[in-house]
Amino acid sequence: MGSDSMQDLPDAPLSWGDTRWNKTGNWRHMRPEVRERAAPCAKACPLGNPIPKVMTAVSRGDLEEAARLLLERNPFPAITGRVCPHPCEVGCNRRRYDEPLAIRSIERLVGDWIQEHRTVYFPSETGKRVAIVGSGPAGLAAASYLRRQGHRVVVYDRNDRVGGMLVDAIPSYRLPRSVVEREARALEQMGVVFQLGVTIGRDVSVEQLLSSYDAVLVATGAHGERRMGIPGEEHFLGGLEFLRAVRRGERKPPGRRVAVVGGGNVAIDVARTLVRLGASPVILYRRTRKEMPAIEEEVERAEADGVEFQFLTLPTSAVKLDGYLRLVVVRMQLGERDRTGRPRPVPIPGSEFELECDAAIRAIGEVAETEFLPREVLDDQGWVVADKFTGATKRAGLFVAGDLVTGPATVVEAIAAGLRAGRAIDRFVRGEALPVQEKPLPTVPLKEINLDYFPRASRVSIPELPLAARCKTFDEEILGLDLNSARGEAARCFSCGSCNLCANCWIFCPDAAIHLDGDLPWVNLEYCKGCGVCATECPRGVITMKEELAREGAVA
Amino acid sequence: MRTGTLLWAGLEVPQEEYLHPGHLACQGCGAALAMRLVLKAVGGDVMVVLPACCWTIIDGPFPYHALRVPLLHTAFETAAAAAAGVKAGLEVLGDTRTQVIAWAGDGGTFDIGLQALSGAAERNEDILYICYDNEAYMNTGIQRSSATPLGAWTTTTPEAHPEDRPKKDLMAIMAAHRIPYAATATVAFPDDLIRKARKAKGIRGTRLLHILAPCPPGWRMESERMIKVSRLAVATGAFPLFEVEEGTRYTLTYRPAGLPLKEYLKLQGRFAHLTEDQIAVLEKQVEARWKELLELHARTHGTVEDIPVVPFGG
Ligand SMILES: Cc1cc2nc3c(=O)[nH]c(=O)nc-3n(C[C@H](O)[C@H](O)[C@H](O)COP(=O)(O)OP(=O)(O)OC[C@H]3O[C@@H](n4cnc5c(N)ncnc54)[C@H](O)[C@@H]3O)c2cc1C
Ligand SMILES: Cc1ncc(C[n+]2csc(CCOP(=O)(O)OP(=O)(O)O)c2C)c(N)n1
Ligand code: SF4
Ligand code: SF4
Ligand SMILES: [Mg+2]
Repeated sequence: MGSDSMQDLPDAPLSWGDTRWNKTGNWRHMRPEVRERAAPCAKACPLGNPIPKVMTAVSRGDLEEAARLLLERNPFPAITGRVCPHPCEVGCNRRRYDEPLAIRSIERLVGDWIQEHRTVYFPSETGKRVAIVGSGPAGLAAASYLRRQGHRVVVYDRNDRVGGMLVDAIPSYRLPRSVVEREARALEQMGVVFQLGVTIGRDVSVEQLLSSYDAVLVATGAHGERRMGIPGEEHFLGGLEFLRAVRRGERKPPGRRVAVVGGGNVAIDVARTLVRLGASPVILYRRTRKEMPAIEEEVERAEADGVEFQFLTLPTSAVKLDGYLRLVVVRMQLGERDRTGRPRPVPIPGSEFELECDAAIRAIGEVAETEFLPREVLDDQGWVVADKFTGATKRAGLFVAGDLVTGPATVVEAIAAGLRAGRAIDRFVRGEALPVQEKPLPTVPLKEINLDYFPRASRVSIPELPLAARCKTFDEEILGLDLNSARGEAARCFSCGSCNLCANCWIFCPDAAIHLDGDLPWVNLEYCKGCGVCATECPRGVITMKEELAREGAVA
Repeated sequence: MRTGTLLWAGLEVPQEEYLHPGHLACQGCGAALAMRLVLKAVGGDVMVVLPACCWTIIDGPFPYHALRVPLLHTAFETAAAAAAGVKAGLEVLGDTRTQVIAWAGDGGTFDIGLQALSGAAERNEDILYICYDNEAYMNTGIQRSSATPLGAWTTTTPEAHPEDRPKKDLMAIMAAHRIPYAATATVAFPDDLIRKARKAKGIRGTRLLHILAPCPPGWRMESERMIKVSRLAVATGAFPLFEVEEGTRYTLTYRPAGLPLKEYLKLQGRFAHLTEDQIAVLEKQVEARWKELLELHARTHGTVEDIPVVPFGG
């Protein structure tokens, strides 16, 4: 800029250079770190459904994208969207703020969309062959995964229909058969072969399967009905047996007044089914309502249906009289806690009373039948022993999944186990090492959500049949959301830990140092001064400030 | 240079930046962000006229300059007069398009520049006057101005003698000049700020935006709370957002979220010395101001029911 005379000076000093040479990044002692984390809903979901991303897509009305995202984790959202006890909603951060998101209803909407818009997927063949025993959710999930990998999949079931408990136990007012059938048909179109009416262990042995397939998955569920061991037990119908008959069209109740023994989901489904058949069920449960293992929502529905509950009662004998049953029932009280942490029910001496009814149904639990499995994969009690993550047993090529392993659990757990086993089998037949469980991502707790951005808003109300109507029909009682309500509900999602490109970080940066071109913001650390505004204003905990340790190219 | 827009709260906001990084604002500076947002709103066809203030420094040392639009540095008391002169000069050159923005601090607006502003407004000069209000003379070390709120600490109103006069009502003064458009805004509501800036751009004559721009060092707070404080200023009612057209038509942007004023005060060290009784006095003052504003809105619109509650959770 050297000048020799006054004439060289401009009339006014002009700045032609800009400030980009000034790398203000070296002012920084905290650095914004952009990192997605798990949402508590997804963490609570046994499948790890990418719920926040799905919610973002649904809130934009983009069901195709929602479907793509959901199918990455859950092959059967139309099923779980109906019967899942939705642990996600229990985990939902919004539950600790106002009300949890109606995640299950939205999953169902997306699932139904998939059933209507599905295109058939033809994988390229690997030539490997896998047999799956049991067409319940565990077997179907594994079949879906393995077929997609290109393996030949044959599913055996002793039943004459596909679906396991989904079509044989869970009542149709909760899960219409057509929903399961559509999934079965889609699997068939993809090339999965179903061999129905074949009982493994009787018609074909597990050994035979092992010798003719590259791998075998056994997912036969828990179908043995527990017995009470009391005099007159033969007068009780089995709960599963009863539900199966009704699912096959039986519409005559076993009697008008029916005693149902038990406190789990089967007992509740039996009682609510009886109501729909015009009977008056009374549930006898040996503990109190608080200890009932049934899904709470289902207990409430049973109460609304008019099911009578007699808590702290246990039948000790039954006699058949002229056209009716007389049960002797003892009253119970709660004692010390047992191994499961629940108080143990103990009979009150001398408290017996008589209860007369037209029929009685026992629904006190189911156990897995394992006699048909090779001895080497069972323990002394006859339980299957397998790796919890992969389902691999001691016998090379033999895998297990679902209720068979866990005892009666849930559909979503069975699907998750089926998928894990499917992944393991895929590796196995390719001769690769079995997968190992990944360390889960840390979650975003409510306190890391910037609630300033979320005015309180109540949960969508889910349409259902009116009470009086639902008690007279086996039609589905809970109805689907329409797209508009679903969009509104999905928009309530905080999107915990998942960037939804809200652009807060970008718009609030006083140093224009954040760019949003891709799926996640990019912080230009050359200029970011580390003020922390982006981290505070990210509503969902995607940006956090980390202590600046080594700074590249720092100017001291 | 990025082009295109990003959606923010349903508003298309250009990605193009007119503020270069490398500028000299402190961490979390509300004034830097205010400039960035206003320029995004009005686009590149502008000239900025700048009296002495923090922004003199933020813009960079000679021969560097942080904006992608021309900026004229001028004397502390002259923002409005100089802007009017620049505008007249442009018109002489046949340029009627370029917006001239006077960009001044609260000291340069409420205090020393008020006479120049009043003159320009009275002549209805075709300028967009923007006061970024950080509620004190920040550039020279946090001395009080007539925009400093009642009860606040500054270096010239120390804790023993905190600010004992209410904040001067600039909007009432400007309304009294019957200028075509005056509005308040703040950085935590960029959609509102951008809409108001665009609206102002579309009007001829003297237009004024009064933008609350939190100053982390001057307000004695953590820089990462800058937006939070700006939002709470609106949510608690401490800084009402509204527009005045032709000096008479009042439209309130939001009504407060019913949050106690304390929520706003407690984030800022400059109010840390206040007793409960003193806070109660401030609350009364905020209430009285709202009563007045609601009446003005009702006089214009016949109702106050149409004012949305500020979007705010927590
Ligand atoms: C009445 C009732 C209601 C329920 N409600 C719910 C609910 O609302 N939500 C929820 O999440 N879960 C519910 N469950 C639990 C859920 O249905 C089960 O956890 C799930 O179905 C287990 O899946 P699975 O694939 O392991 O076994 P299953 O679904 O039991 O399927 C096993 C399949 O294997 C077949 N099979 C068995 N042995 C053989 C053999 N030797 N050879 C060939 N085939 C064989 C069976 O025919 C059956 O089709 C309910 C269960 C019951 C009984
Ligand atoms: C006539 C005159 N008096 C005093 C100063 C010193 N001075 C420079 S900036 C400033 C404070 C400006 O305060 P404000 O307008 O509120 O802007 P801020 O610095 O707070 O952004 C002062 C007093 C000056 N430049 N000119
Ligand atoms: S708010 Fe959304 S992301 Fe967060 S836990 Fe609930 S459903 Fe999941
Ligand atoms: S503020 Fe918005 S855009 Fe930025 S990281 Fe968080 S969610 Fe993503
Ligand atoms: Mg100031």
